[in-house]
Amino acid sequence: MTGAHPKVKITYCAECGYEPQTLALASALMLEFGSRLSAIELIPWDSGTFDVSVDGQLVHSMRREGGFPDGEEIKKAVRAHLTA
Amino acid sequence: MTIDRARFDQGITYEAFKAQMTRNRDRVEENEGRAQLRQEDVAAFRTLPRQLNVVVLAEDWCGDVIANLPVLGRLARESGKLNLRVFLRDQNDDIMQLYLNQGKYKSIPVFVFFDESFRELGHWIERPASVTELRARRRREIFAAHPEFGSPDGPVDQLPEDVRTRLQAELQQMREETTPFANAEVVREIRELVTRVAA
Repeated sequence: MTGAHPKVKITYCAECGYEPQTLALASALMLEFGSRLSAIELIPWDSGTFDVSVDGQLVHSMRREGGFPDGEEIKKAVRAHLTA
Repeated sequence: MTIDRARFDQGITYEAFKAQMTRNRDRVEENEGRAQLRQEDVAAFRTLPRQLNVVVLAEDWCGDVIANLPVLGRLARESGKLNLRVFLRDQNDDIMQLYLNQGKYKSIPVFVFFDESFRELGHWIERPASVTELRARRRREIFAAHPEFGSPDGPVDQLPEDVRTRLQAELQQMREETTPFANAEVVREIRELVTRVAA
């Protein structure tokens, strides 16, 4: 883990039209954490994917959890990495 | 809830569906143009004793809709025996609830075939099982041949960008290579369904 400046990756199904959810989550994280994040990477994929990882740790998977993530849960995961 | 003429007429034509698409219209039209139909399959639909009414549940963001609805569209155009009406899944949950995949999932596309009196002849959901199986096998083979791709179930964001790009290219190529088989299976299953009950 990188600790102070975590990197968030959002892998989303571009074919499925998940861009609004992707941008909404990215925007929420930008507004919440600002420069305390090292990067937010958006990865267009397929197959109904919507995965979010923080410093390489998968914190939400649409396949695993079903559905889109709760933004507050993702923020909580990011905070845990900020203080790690 | 049943589907009758009045409900059927609330759907939009296939051409109108394409016209209202906000994404993937180019892919639908490309797939429609590329679908290879055997003359004997077209003839089997053309010689149906009467035109069938077909309810289609679809959305423009769904990959299986983009892949499989154009095949049905071509069959309709070339046979003149399938009268399609498209209903957007998320605006027509009353119909969707009648045709849930395994009783649970809102899988699309759904094709429901009716005779002229709106007696249901059968329905078809999502994609042929044979296509799912073939692509799953081909996917496993790709990962087996390329250890750098990691686990087939692993999160792709863990892969280096260059490896991820190569994986995406391999998967895209696999989908391209299996598309003729997939289209043929869609036609075969629909042909079996309608010729079994509508003859």
